[in-house]
Amino acid sequence: MHASFAMRCAAALGLVASAFIGGAATRATAQDVTLEVWSHEADEPAKVAFRELAAKNLEKSRPGVKVKITWYEKNPLFAALKTALPAGKGPDVFYLEPDQVEYITAGYIIPLDDLVNWNNIEPWARKVWTHNGKTYGIPQEAYTNELFYNKDQLKQLGVTLPANGQLTQAQFLDLIKKARAANVTPVSQGVGDRPYPGAYIVGEALLRKLGPDDYQKLFTGKLTFADPRVVEVLKWVKELVEAGAYPKNFMTLKLGESHYYFYSKPGSVMLPMGSWYTGRAFVPEEKGGQPANFPIGIMQYPAMDGAACNDCKTSAIGASFAINAASKQKELAAAFLNAMSTPEMGKMWIETVYLQTGIKADVKNFTGPHAAYFTELMDRQKGAKYFIGSPRDMVTGECKDTFIQVLNSGFPGGLLTVDQAVQMMNKSCYKG
Amino acid sequence: MSISTRFWGFFGRNSAKPETDARCAGLGILVAFLAPALLFYAGFAIYPVIRTIYNSFHAIKPHGVVEFVGVSNFTTLLFADATFWKAVGNTALFTIVATILDVFGGLLLALCLFARAPFAGLLRVVWFTPVLMSYVVVGVIWVWIYDYDWGLANAILRWLGLGAFEQSWLGHPSTALWSVLGAHVWKWLGFNMIVFLAALYALPGEVLGAAELDNCGWVAKLVYIIVPMLRATIVNLLVLSFIGKMMVFDLIWIMTGGGPLWSTETVSTYVYKRAFEWNTFDLGYPSAIAVLWFVIILAFIAVMTQLLRQRDKLEF
Repeated sequence: MHASFAMRCAAALGLVASAFIGGAATRATAQDVTLEVWSHEADEPAKVAFRELAAKNLEKSRPGVKVKITWYEKNPLFAALKTALPAGKGPDVFYLEPDQVEYITAGYIIPLDDLVNWNNIEPWARKVWTHNGKTYGIPQEAYTNELFYNKDQLKQLGVTLPANGQLTQAQFLDLIKKARAANVTPVSQGVGDRPYPGAYIVGEALLRKLGPDDYQKLFTGKLTFADPRVVEVLKWVKELVEAGAYPKNFMTLKLGESHYYFYSKPGSVMLPMGSWYTGRAFVPEEKGGQPANFPIGIMQYPAMDGAACNDCKTSAIGASFAINAASKQKELAAAFLNAMSTPEMGKMWIETVYLQTGIKADVKNFTGPHAAYFTELMDRQKGAKYFIGSPRDMVTGECKDTFIQVLNSGFPGGLLTVDQAVQMMNKSCYKG
Repeated sequence: MSISTRFWGFFGRNSAKPETDARCAGLGILVAFLAPALLFYAGFAIYPVIRTIYNSFHAIKPHGVVEFVGVSNFTTLLFADATFWKAVGNTALFTIVATILDVFGGLLLALCLFARAPFAGLLRVVWFTPVLMSYVVVGVIWVWIYDYDWGLANAILRWLGLGAFEQSWLGHPSTALWSVLGAHVWKWLGFNMIVFLAALYALPGEVLGAAELDNCGWVAKLVYIIVPMLRATIVNLLVLSFIGKMMVFDLIWIMTGGGPLWSTETVSTYVYKRAFEWNTFDLGYPSAIAVLWFVIILAFIAVMTQLLRQRDKLEF
């Protein structure tokens, strides 16, 4: 009896096991390679649609392949990656930005030189991701630092821009004072949830004053913040702050709120922001976008007195994608990167996201409701000498933390004198 | 012998009647019932602690490479890290003030309800509701309350004609920590109130009745009878509150991220920044901060319980 019970149990177990194994085998033959992708920017519908389309295109071209995109907010994404990758886990492809060089030095992402079709990528954009002769990321989003303004507000203040759209530093200070006198916030900006917006004006001013080489030296610890040119720029920014350039809630105003502040309530004259601003602003008004008839314009950041390069401006790479070194499907992962980087996709990016891209795209005539905006954006690029990379791409560790606390928030927030800012930045950043 | 009998025979001493007395359960039974909880505890509590201590003496390099660095993480931390000491100062201030406000504020609210203040039922719900909210919700609400332009705090000041006192509450180093502290106390007062209320209702009625017969006033009754009898509850709440505040992270992260100018940086936010925001995968240094802070908390708890220990047993 015992023997027969045991045999029955064994037979039952065998049946159950074979059912599982059989089922699994059936499934495996019918499908199913899943490519895991972790992406930021779930709150930007145009970018979501762009990446979902690339996933669908890949799935169409490779039957049996499924691309699973998991959407994150930026900080949780990077926290998840920093625990998953050291454990040898994580997605096959993930969102990354060029300042995150630690992924390269740690060997958690692989060189893409032989995997990706670089003919579809702008060489200058590729260069941003090139370290020691190898390229580690596919640059999808490119942007320039722009100074957006409300054309109606500027007219009401009686200020006319020169043809090149660039005021002098004195004229800019005067504009700030005029706006304050008219009880209008001059510059909408906040650092409540981002480590960089407060440094737009000071960063662009430093770039123009110092020129690209010394600017790079400054943020890589080879030039002191006590340099007289740097001090001059900081003194000018301090004048702007004291003239009331920024909102009173500058320290807590969040990125999205600063956009709303600019184009809606209470309204401001200017908004310094990356050109990716439109990815958020050109969504329908009922979804939080700017009103369709909002009179947006783009001016150049002010020309600095005695500047080394007043035509200089920052261009940077934002959203990029890399391949996990632990991925078992590197070729497929590269195919997904290629699927996002065709000229057709590049065209779609420009026409739907209204933003520059590192993908080569032949777009000569802009159409659609925001064509005038995009034409103006391109006009503002004429004659520009680009510095590729923003300060936060160049600083790391303690210097990065100090940059966030001092140049991004404390100094433009009016909490520090020029001397204090110089001293704090030098202490953490200057290696001379 | 049935399968069932043999099964229980393996696990229990009394194979015939396994259900008679749980205290007679065999080792097998004990292991079977305790193992899941023990494994869970070991995996998610003991191992991380041991691993953190291990990491604190190492530099953790990519791909599982670890390099023994002795106590160098600790010496850097103690003698060359100004931000750490700033974080320690903020955390200490936050912990001491918030603990006192939380516990004694909760006691006052509980006494108010115990004395059957008007609308006591409604007040109990209102005061306890913040406890049920997540830190994220509390943080977002208070960031709005403190906003310079459209926040309630400044609106009230303007309405009272005290516009000169309006502030960027979270935007200035001199007010930011106190503002976060206010939000934290608002969240936790209700919890302490409920615990005290339960303890107050558990007090022996005859003692309070005898005090009233002796014409003992409210203050005297509070100081000489109620507080001494609540001593155990007070000590427990002080210790629990102290531990919680020494590890404060969520609310500060949501409201200020440690700024402005590190004025709300706490040890926990600093550990997070060093671990996840400093362009490094090295968890050795952040682990050293965590270990050192763990030891400090442990020492404080030991000192507190020693100082506040009930030496003579109350009799009533």
